[in-house]
Amino acid sequence: MIKRLGTGLAVLWAAATAAYLALLLAPGDTVDVLIGDGPDTPEIRAKIIAEWGLDRPEIVQYLSYLWRLLHGDLGRSYQLQRGVGEILASQIGPTVQLTLAAATVGVVLAGVIAVVTAGRGPLSRAVASTAELVSVSVPPFLIGIVLLSVFSFTLGWFPVSGAEGPRALVLPALALGLPIAGVLGQVLRGGLERALEQPFAVTARSRGLTERALVVRHALRHALIPAVTLAGWFTGTLLGGAVITEILFGRPGLGQVTMQAVTGRDMPVVMAVVLLSAVVYVTISTLLDLAYRVIDPRIRG
Amino acid sequence: MEPPVKHLTRVLLAFSLLALPACGAQSAQSAPNAESATLIWAIETQPVTFNPHLWAQNKARLLVFNQFDALISRGRDGSFQPWLARSWEVSDDGLTYTLHLRDDVTFHDGTRFDAAAVKANFDQLLVPGYNPTVASIQLKAFKKAEVVSPTTVKITLKEPDALFLDFLASPYAGQVSPKSLRTAKDLKFGGPDLVGTGPFILDRYIQGQEVRYRRNPDYDWPPASAEHRGPAHLEEITYRFLPEAAVRVGALTSGQVQVIEGVPATETNLIEKDPDLTLLTSLNSGTSYSYYFNTSHPPFDDQRVREAFREAVDVDAVLRSVYQGTATRAWSIVGKKSPFYDATLERTYGGDVAKANALLDAAGWTERDAQGFRVKDGKRLTVREVASAPFVRDRRDVLAQAIQAQVKQNAGIDFQVKIVDQGTAQRTIDDNQYEIFGNSRGDSDAGAALNLILTSEGAINRARYSDPRLDKWLATASATSDQAERADLYAKVQRTAVLEKAIVFPLYVPADQIAAHKSVQGLGFDPASGTPASAYDVRIGT
Repeated sequence: MIKRLGTGLAVLWAAATAAYLALLLAPGDTVDVLIGDGPDTPEIRAKIIAEWGLDRPEIVQYLSYLWRLLHGDLGRSYQLQRGVGEILASQIGPTVQLTLAAATVGVVLAGVIAVVTAGRGPLSRAVASTAELVSVSVPPFLIGIVLLSVFSFTLGWFPVSGAEGPRALVLPALALGLPIAGVLGQVLRGGLERALEQPFAVTARSRGLTERALVVRHALRHALIPAVTLAGWFTGTLLGGAVITEILFGRPGLGQVTMQAVTGRDMPVVMAVVLLSAVVYVTISTLLDLAYRVIDPRIRG
Repeated sequence: MEPPVKHLTRVLLAFSLLALPACGAQSAQSAPNAESATLIWAIETQPVTFNPHLWAQNKARLLVFNQFDALISRGRDGSFQPWLARSWEVSDDGLTYTLHLRDDVTFHDGTRFDAAAVKANFDQLLVPGYNPTVASIQLKAFKKAEVVSPTTVKITLKEPDALFLDFLASPYAGQVSPKSLRTAKDLKFGGPDLVGTGPFILDRYIQGQEVRYRRNPDYDWPPASAEHRGPAHLEEITYRFLPEAAVRVGALTSGQVQVIEGVPATETNLIEKDPDLTLLTSLNSGTSYSYYFNTSHPPFDDQRVREAFREAVDVDAVLRSVYQGTATRAWSIVGKKSPFYDATLERTYGGDVAKANALLDAAGWTERDAQGFRVKDGKRLTVREVASAPFVRDRRDVLAQAIQAQVKQNAGIDFQVKIVDQGTAQRTIDDNQYEIFGNSRGDSDAGAALNLILTSEGAINRARYSDPRLDKWLATASATSDQAERADLYAKVQRTAVLEKAIVFPLYVPADQIAAHKSVQGLGFDPASGTPASAYDVRIGT
């Protein structure tokens, strides 16, 4: 566990350093980069130089940057004239909602499809894997447009935008969750099918267990392990996809903030988003390590 | 352990329950309702601030005058008209402006609008670091504002400034309650607690989603160009932020919103064909989208090459293919809508391929390399444009590709277009590593843009062209308030830059579009900017 924490901290440190290097290496003067499209006055410049210690040697600047991060100080957006922490805090809610809903869609759909089709005839297998392939290879932007055209513009079942109420969450969650369901479904089914050929499956069948009960009670647990290792990819897809999904559906959230920050060269916000993604990534992979122990008793032992 | 399949069933059930009540709601999202008089308008761009003093986005201009009123306004003919100031006098030396204010105006927080409030707004604009751009450009000539009486305010300038009335009619002159200037939680961002005198009161803002206004029931002081008096027709208006054009159009055609702005050329046909929808278009004021030739180094230091580039392009054909006939060709730096537009420039240049090739031959670009590009002294005739990604709109990247193909085929010019981040673009400009710079500006007075683009020291003189005559004409035009004299001077400036020296290649006049449900009446464009007007006159017809 301690080793796990150590790795997590190392990843965070690497992310912070990468973000810092990006700032240094970005074309143009560092003060220019930090100001972005915000107002440019001698006072603001002096403030930035003092805040970031830009008049000191680079190694000192770097250390003081890390020091401020350790104190939770993410800096200021000179474009929006507010603290970066405050901006992110006000926008994190809708994004958490969206990504959790999308993850649920992904996991539930993948689980259902895998359980229903595993070990069945070649036809249901072919249908499922085609659906999975399509959902994986079509970009979330296109999935979103198609979902909107059908279920919002034509059928009028769901509103196009907003973060009010669960109805507005359905289409964005599907757009973001479908690619995850695709990949996860394939992996789960593969795992299930391998598990069903294992000796324990033969034993269970001989005890008179139905195929369905065998899949759900025994094989699923085996199939989960390769699926769980995908969590890193899963997190990245969700975070990256959230940017596109939020813009497309006109939803508030970190994706919109990121987009605005990137186009407006709002470097402090961009750096904070990079760090936040790293924190999320590390937290989730740590949690999943714990989950392994629950799923697979061999690791516990 | 409970079999997981039960969980799955429960989740699926929950999902289908979510979907069920939604099915019945379909009919509710139909035509706008005249009785409740509320409206949803989908817009492309989120404002970076609601404080009118710090306003910076033309695309967000339509929001400003819902909440705020300026001191004066512009009429459809471009003239200045009363608003919060009933009348005004300018002294003969152009240094003193005396404004006579309305005495019946109150801010949304109940405080009175008077001369002291006007002075407080000017004082705020000059606070160091508050809005340095306005302080150093629009208020460069400003000296002081004095309260003469509660309804009279006297403004003194350091030097005459022809653009000062334009400033008084701009969003920057939107009057903010002095009380809220002191008490607003976030002065630079604004929001519900930074109030004005406008026809609507900012009710709620959800970042990334929408901003909602409700009617100001006391409002009775619209600008002279408004179609009605008294409070606004709409009880409530919500602007929803939908950055994707296709989503805006879909939301309109499905009746989820009643008005949208920013209709791409690819969608205008669809909207025009729909009997339930209307489409309005207006050319923007300011400058047309033009290529500026960098005259500081080869090959565009040679005027013959500059002219050849323009002659090699059939602009009409290019615009037809890129914008499906929805774009208006530009002939001058100044946009067609400006009172200073010089129409005599039309059809005086461009599209003569034989002439283009003759000019290039004469300029010494006689050889050709293996790919068919012209060569001189072993160097290919290459010109580069570097565009900053955030400013690439209106399919300007596609436009550049079409021009690229034409100059290659017609004249053997190698036109290279790179779209990069803002920092790289800025460095390319600082290092003078470009030959073409594309730009349009949305200034309500085209003179303001010309000062920035064509004077020797202009902040965006990307042609790197310096001409004492241009400097003199532009300085004189800035100091006189005689519109006829200004028009005369700006005509000379345009003839010199476009015809005589060929430092610019005007392409098209940027435009704004509004598409709406047929029942929505009173939509229109701000006469000053050509961008969509506020919601004051908007109503839902029968």
